[in-house]
Amino acid sequence: MKKYLYIYKATLVENLNYITNILLGFINFFVMMFVFLNLWEYIYSDNTQVINGYTMQQMIWYVLITEVLWFGSRNKILTQEISQDIKTGNIAYNINKPYNYVLYIVSKHLGEITIKLIMFIMVGIIIGVSFVGPIQNFNIMNVPFILLTVIFGVIINSILRIAISIISFWIEDSTPFHWVYDKMILVIGTLFPIEMFPEFIRPIIKCTPIFVVTYGPAKLIIDFSMKSFMNIFIAQILYLVISISIVSILYNKGVKKLNVNGG
Amino acid sequence: MSIIEVKNLNKKFKIKEKEKGIRGSIKSIIKPEYRTVSAVNDISFTVQQGEILAFIGPNGAGKSTTIKMLTGILYPSGGEIMVNGINPSKERKKLAYKIGTVFGQKEQLWTHLTPYDNFKFFGAIYDVPDNEIENRIQELKETFELQEFINTPVRNLSLGQRIRCEIVASLIHKPEILFLDEPTIGLDPVVKENIRKLIKKMNKELGTTIFLTSHDVGDIEKLCKRVIIVNKGKIIMDDTMSNLKYHYLDRKIVEVKLKEKVALNNEEGINIIKEKANGLKIEIDSKKKTIADVIKMLDTDKIIDMNISNIPLEDIITSIYKGAKVEVF
Amino acid sequence: MLMEVKNQIKVMFLSLKYNIMRQMTNKVTFITNIVFMILNNASFIIQWIILFSLKNEIGGYTIKEVILLWGMAASVFGLSRILFNKAFELSELIINGKLDTFLVQPKNVFLSVISSETKISAIGDLIYGYICLLLYGITIKNVILFTFFTAIGAVILTSFVSIMGSLSFWIVKGDIIADSLSNIMINFATYPGNIFKGIVKILLYTIIPVGVSNYMTVDIILNFNLVNFFYIVIFAIVILLLAFYIFNRGLKRYSSSNLMNSRI
Repeated sequence: MKKYLYIYKATLVENLNYITNILLGFINFFVMMFVFLNLWEYIYSDNTQVINGYTMQQMIWYVLITEVLWFGSRNKILTQEISQDIKTGNIAYNINKPYNYVLYIVSKHLGEITIKLIMFIMVGIIIGVSFVGPIQNFNIMNVPFILLTVIFGVIINSILRIAISIISFWIEDSTPFHWVYDKMILVIGTLFPIEMFPEFIRPIIKCTPIFVVTYGPAKLIIDFSMKSFMNIFIAQILYLVISISIVSILYNKGVKKLNVNGG
Repeated sequence: MSIIEVKNLNKKFKIKEKEKGIRGSIKSIIKPEYRTVSAVNDISFTVQQGEILAFIGPNGAGKSTTIKMLTGILYPSGGEIMVNGINPSKERKKLAYKIGTVFGQKEQLWTHLTPYDNFKFFGAIYDVPDNEIENRIQELKETFELQEFINTPVRNLSLGQRIRCEIVASLIHKPEILFLDEPTIGLDPVVKENIRKLIKKMNKELGTTIFLTSHDVGDIEKLCKRVIIVNKGKIIMDDTMSNLKYHYLDRKIVEVKLKEKVALNNEEGINIIKEKANGLKIEIDSKKKTIADVIKMLDTDKIIDMNISNIPLEDIITSIYKGAKVEVF
Repeated sequence: MLMEVKNQIKVMFLSLKYNIMRQMTNKVTFITNIVFMILNNASFIIQWIILFSLKNEIGGYTIKEVILLWGMAASVFGLSRILFNKAFELSELIINGKLDTFLVQPKNVFLSVISSETKISAIGDLIYGYICLLLYGITIKNVILFTFFTAIGAVILTSFVSIMGSLSFWIVKGDIIADSLSNIMINFATYPGNIFKGIVKILLYTIIPVGVSNYMTVDIILNFNLVNFFYIVIFAIVILLLAFYIFNRGLKRYSSSNLMNSRI
């Protein structure tokens, strides 16, 4: 475990050099938030106060939080770099090294996004407070629980990404599958909470990664209850176990295939 | 007739200096500091039509920068260039029809296409009319013996075949001058030999002037009649190949195997390089000491075997780079 | 001059043909790229179905007009990336000194560079654009206008991203800025123009011309308006000329550059 912690720290320090890049990356985030703000303002423009249990203020905060999680944890390592390693056969060199490739990638990824995510969270809070004011009924005591689900969400997201990238062992280009995942999270998971969907679809969406990656943490921030925390947290643990098993099965199969074909 | 004329050419680069760490990064954003480097420093030379010229020097000597200025990619900071009567920085497009370029490390061919399709593409780039292009490809195919693989996708070709096609592709528009930037880099000796033959043939049969940079002494020795050596942005030598060799030919390496150990003193004109049991390796300056003198000193009866050779060109060039007089090992 | 233009176009089409041929050597990847892009775009229908279940109209549009708007955005983006994909990566080429290859060719550097690559998934975008038009309703007039505005929009979008990319001739972190601003153009393209107000709305019709390339064009298909029609065409010509001008100014700087480390 110590070596992964070291990889994490080294990447984190390395990334301190790219703070300007992160700052410039905010341009995009501002624009997206601006578009969504306008969209929801338009939808709430007549005398509507509450839509499916959400006030406009809660809606904007929901979008803000999910977009922060989305923008703050995006990373090419999980998508292009793994595929590239597999395609070029670089992964064969990594297999011989005394570490687990998947854990190596995860540590590196977390090292890269830590600063970014923290900066996005701060900017997100500033935007939210200045546009629609602080979240009502927010209790500072809940922060530890929320933080736990945020971190778990980020980790689950990265493991699912790795699972998709590993498809490159069998299909040359795994990017199209990333699009599908992107779109599922972006379209269904960030723009509106699950409650906005028709009743019969909601249970299905609750089974998708959206529930544990974006909806869960965001819901807890804008409307905390111990019951929903338990629901989300248990779902996250289930997801973690399942996704890790999938990745290790796929990875081992892929590596075997690589050995047979000699890269 | 000179086809390339370069007078007092200069190119200066500013390089951003950055200190280590976060503080250094922040400082370099707020108040960047620059250092000026003369990549090319006041060089002048001419190249005659039909010549094969080697333009050599260690890494970072200014070779590529010079080629880039000659081909119109970079503008000089000072000085004049005329290539085929054209000023590269003023009439880049006009010049492009007259020159060909091959950069050994950069591929210009489409790897999934056959050489034939590639040649057609380059024909279109250089506005070779459709009715002429077929003849041209036919001609090149025969001259450079590409029949075997002209219809095989480039990615399935061997590295040597690929480089051959790269060079032929740059000839599609009958350029007057061909710039070759390290064409044999990374090739095995047999393929290198092949490429050299091709370059020679091109020069002889098509009359193409060739401007070659290379690290490979073999390229230079076997192809070029004239050599320009640059280092740190300056020309340190511009001479014919035979002069270069002749100049250093008065130095010989003598290796002798003796029956028993013979004591030999370092005298003027003799330099003992290696002394081992019954073997000796000596460098002789034949202007000061004749070979015969040295043999006499060794006592001819004791000599079992003997080998006299010239200093290898590679060593000559290395020492010119270093700016020192030639001394082996 | 005419000959020169003809030859340039010939090279561009050869380059397009060869690019597509290259991608087709791997058929599975080629087809998955296109099909998944169509599905990818289609997923946004879900978003709009949900939004329209909350409110009958958004920015004066119903789902039908939004589909047309989406179609226009996809086909403009698609055409631009099929023909001029490298315009979207101009910064990277400039920063890494990769324009050299094009500088030794006797062709217009700007056109040769931007047309040197084709994005295959963009074919999916273009197809999706026409699927949307089909859903909106096909008439001869619609097809002609839609096709015409796809071309005009592609000119505007390509010119815009090229200008943004050309900033890298002058600005060090130009690539990130270019990426962000190009993304703005694309992000705004799929939301009804009328939800934006004030200064932003003015910006969208001038500096970030998504209003011209998408909102106005869609409005003309909905309600023909001759004045706007000419405004769009003239705007496209002006921004195209501007793109050429700025790139060429930058290119001079690139060639006389004394700054870039990678180019020694």
